[in-house]
Formats: sequence, structure tokens, C-alpha cells
Amino acid sequence: MESTSIFEVSGLSKSFAGLKAVDNVSMKIKTGEILGLIGPNGSGKTTFINLVTGMLEKDAGRITIDQHNIGEMQAYQIPVHGLVRTYQTIRLFKHLSSLENVMIGALGVGMKRKQAAAVAEDLLEELGLSERRDAPAQGLTFRDQRLLEIARALAAKPRFLLLDEPAAGLNEEETDELFALLSVMPEQKNIGILIVDHDMRLIMNLCNRLHVLNYGQTIAEGKPEDVRRNPEVVVAYLGSEAS
Amino acid sequence: MKRNNTADENTLAAASLGSRPYFNFSSKWSTVVLLVAILSGIGVFIWWLNIPFIEDIFTSSVITLISVLGFQLYMGNSGILNWSYVGYVGIGAFASAIFSMEPSLKAMQIPIMYPFLQKLHLPFIPAVLAGALVAMIIAAVVAWPLMRLSDAVGSITQFALLIVINVLLSQWAEVTNGPRTFTLGGSRQTTIWVALGFAILVITFVYYFKESSLGMKLRTSRDDRYAARSSGINFVKVRYQGYVTSAFIGGLAGGLYSHYILSITAGSFYMSELFKLLSMVVIGGSMSVSGAFFGALIVTLAQQGLRQLELGLTRSGFEAYGMSEIVVAILMILFLILRPNGVTGGRELSLEALRNLFRPKQYTNNNGNKK
Repeated sequence: MESTSIFEVSGLSKSFAGLKAVDNVSMKIKTGEILGLIGPNGSGKTTFINLVTGMLEKDAGRITIDQHNIGEMQAYQIPVHGLVRTYQTIRLFKHLSSLENVMIGALGVGMKRKQAAAVAEDLLEELGLSERRDAPAQGLTFRDQRLLEIARALAAKPRFLLLDEPAAGLNEEETDELFALLSVMPEQKNIGILIVDHDMRLIMNLCNRLHVLNYGQTIAEGKPEDVRRNPEVVVAYLGSEAS
Repeated sequence: MKRNNTADENTLAAASLGSRPYFNFSSKWSTVVLLVAILSGIGVFIWWLNIPFIEDIFTSSVITLISVLGFQLYMGNSGILNWSYVGYVGIGAFASAIFSMEPSLKAMQIPIMYPFLQKLHLPFIPAVLAGALVAMIIAAVVAWPLMRLSDAVGSITQFALLIVINVLLSQWAEVTNGPRTFTLGGSRQTTIWVALGFAILVITFVYYFKESSLGMKLRTSRDDRYAARSSGINFVKVRYQGYVTSAFIGGLAGGLYSHYILSITAGSFYMSELFKLLSMVVIGGSMSVSGAFFGALIVTLAQQGLRQLELGLTRSGFEAYGMSEIVVAILMILFLILRPNGVTGGRELSLEALRNLFRPKQYTNNNGNKK
């Protein structure tokens, strides 16, 4: 039986020139589950991901994986502790081949070259990108680039995967493919997923729990069907007239 | 999220996987073999011609090739223009000269030289390697704080460092004979075969570096340093390792140059030299070893041809000095506008690339069928 890990954030805060982008946010994710982080534009979702992955310096708060404090680490030190991410705007190494892009995920957490190449080959096969293994990433279709970014993150053998709007730019059919991929991932790979997206169909069907932010603050948490009916969430998304 | 491939696609994918492990001779190491074969072929042909003037030009060009490969190692893989590079070529040139010169000759030529430097004496090859090591050590000492800087700021600081190195080389009389010419004495030690031997080693090394884990990590910092950080890459560290390695090759090229030309000044390792290296990597393509190789070949041939033209024009009463630099500069501007990745387009010369070049092109129609 595989062990359960816990990714925990408590009291996380960040201000930009006095504006509170993330205000005292706490959450907990276990391996094997998918948590959706939602909220209107500018509610602090991406800032939250940037803070927990070390891309931004936090003002306050504690970030741990299995009680191991990763909140004071540099961004490049975090993947080896089991937390990796993808970006809202795809960030690939455009001149590197697909294989090299995925290998980097493995090399970045200290795997040897041969092992990294084997892991990358397996992931490219798993995600249907093997035919493109030698093609520079910049030549891939948008869909394949999205998948390649996920493959690179998975190559680090993470315990927690943070996906920042993975469905952005995908059509309905591609989003369904993404759903099929992500829905089995927590169990198959024993990982926890935090997903940010505006596609409510994907979020509602995929996530075990939701965490809703508005103006940097948590306004609701719980199961998707409960959150959907939460009046504060309805107001945040549709405005006060809707309630 | 596996795509439903057709039977043909699956067969193709399986065949490609089965026949193409990550390190495949035809797709990877054939680059080194081809580049070495071209260079050696030219070298043997020139030696066979037995025309000292052409042999001299070739030897000098091979030293420049070594220098441009070291320049490409850092610039091509990190994406940062390293202005200070020619400074390390200069350090290698002076340091190896100090190491190899007879102590009595040093005492006579540079009486004010520090006594501990006057006493040093090494044979030619160890002296060249020691000179390269000195360049590498100096790079290792000064580089760390500069490696965090990117884009324009990174380039400006490298430029400032070049000025510091150049002033030290041209004014530190107790080490370099100051603004006066530093004459090594003796006979030329960097022969055509020595230069070729080192060039073959450097081509192999620079290509190996690019394909190594370190080279790959450095290339990620060139493409997207945010994604590199979040993939576990400490880009400051990999840049530092690349920079220091590049300085070693620059120092090596400098040592070979000083033992070829036999008299050096700090001015030989400044803007005009940097411009030459830059034009070579831009015209050839900065992102590949083949690009540096062919850039060096093209620019050298163009400069030699244009210099002969300059001489011809000058003899016929038309003052044309500097024309070759102007033409190369215009060529560089045109490449930057029309073909920013150079003649190679950032790709490497390989057997596979050659096969593709001569293979009839297949076009795909709207139904995805090849015709």
C-alpha cells in the first residue's frame, strides 16, 4: 500500500503595494485527491500557486509537505520535495526536443541521465507524444504543448501537481481528453492535484473538493455540489444582483 | 490522454522508438565525426599544397575556431552574450607566454616583472594548459555575482568586466609588459598539427558539453528561466559552470595564439576580436556547434577574400582599408534581420540531416496522406 502525503498551507499572505493579493489562506491536500482552486479573475489563484512554488516571496504563512517546511526554499529546491507545477501560459523549453523537455523534469530532481531518458520515454508514450519525441517543443500543436508541460512535471515523480489553467486554449474535445487523463492520475500515480481553471464543467466533474478565493480571501470550501450552492460564491461570480 | 493512432502511425512510432535510443550515432555523434572530418580534410589538403602563406592562414583560422567554439559554448547554451570572453582569451595568451618563456629572456625583456613570475618555466603544452587554467580560475573568482543577471543587465556587466580585464592587461607592466608589445621569442610552437589536434579535442568537448545534462540544463535557462527554476534547475549554478568552462577554452585559444603569433598586446583581445567572434556565431548560428564551425569558416573565407580585394583596390589607387570589416558587419546585420538563427538555423550537421537534405520531399494533403 502506498503512503499518503499531505501538502499543507496555513495563513499564507502576500501584498503588492498594499493590495492584499492573498490574504491568510490555508488549505490541505492529500495524495489521491483533486482539489480545485477557483475564483473570479484577479482573486489570487495564480499568486497562490506562485507563492507555494517559491516563484514569489510570501509575506507570511507556512507551507509544508509531510511537516517538511518548503516555504523558505528557493523555487528550484522545491520539486525535489515533491511539488511541481505547470503554467497558465505554456512555458516550455522551445528549442529543446520533446524528449529533452521531459528529461529536464527528471534531471531537475537529481535523476541520472539514463533514468531520466527512460522516464521521459515512458511519459511521452503514456501521453501519446512519442511520435514527436525529437521535434522541438515550439513546433508542437497547442494541445501537445499542454500535454508536454504536464509530462515534464510528472517526470519529477511528484507527490503534488499544481496545474494552472491546464484547459485554457483547449477545445471541448481536448478538454474531455484532459479530464480523462487527470481523473485517473491521483490513483494511478498516487499524487495529489491542485487545479486552477475557469472551465466549470471540468472543475465540477473532476474535483473531489473546491476552495474558492475572492479578493485573495477564502470564501468557501467543500464538495463541488455544496460550493455551487454557496450564496457567497454565487455573488462572487455573478455579482450581488444574482443572489 | 493517448491519441487513437492509426495502424500506420503506431508502426511508425514503434519503429522510431526501437531504432532511436537517446544517444544514436547517426543523429548525435555523427556531428562530431563530420565536423572533424571536414576540418581534417581541409588541413591535410592545405599541408599537401605546401604553400606557407596558406598554411599560416589556416593555422590562425583554426585557433580562431577554437576561440569561437568556447564563445559559443556559453553564448549558445545560455543565450547570454559574454562580452568578457575575449578578456579570458587575453589572460590565457599572456599567462601561457609567461609560463613558457625562458626566465633569462623574461628578465631581459621585462626587467620589472615580478621575480616569482620570472622564475616560472614550463614546456609549451603544459604552459598553454596552465594559461587556460589561470583564465578559468579568474573567471571562477569573478563570475558568481554576475550569473544572476540576465538580458541587457547581464550583457552590460560582462562588458564592464571586459574593460577591467583589458585595462589590467594593458597597464599591469609587472605582468604583461604594460602597453608595450610582449614578445615571446623563440620559434613558432603552435604548428598546423598542434592547432588541428586541439581543435578536434575542443569540437568533441563542446559538442559533448551541449549534449550533457549540464548543457541541457543551461539550455533551459536560455529558453525560459522561470520554467527552469520550477523544474528544479538552479540556473545561476549551471550558468556559472558554463561560464567557467568557456573561459578555459578561451584561455586555451589565447595560449595557442600567443605561441603562434609570438608577440602580443592587450589590444589583440578587445573589441575587434570580440566583433569577429560575434559575427561568426551570428552568421553560423549561435545555438549549435555546427553553427560556430561554419560561421568561423564563412567569415574567415570572406575576410581573406575581401582583404585580397582591399589590397588590389589600394594598389590601383583606391583607398579601401577596413572594407572587409564593413562587409562582415553588414552581413551580420542582414543575418540578424533575415535569418537570426544563422545558416544552420540552430541545427547540427549530422548524417540524418544530410540524408533528409537529399531525400525527396513528401508533402501531405488535406486528408493527411503523404504524396
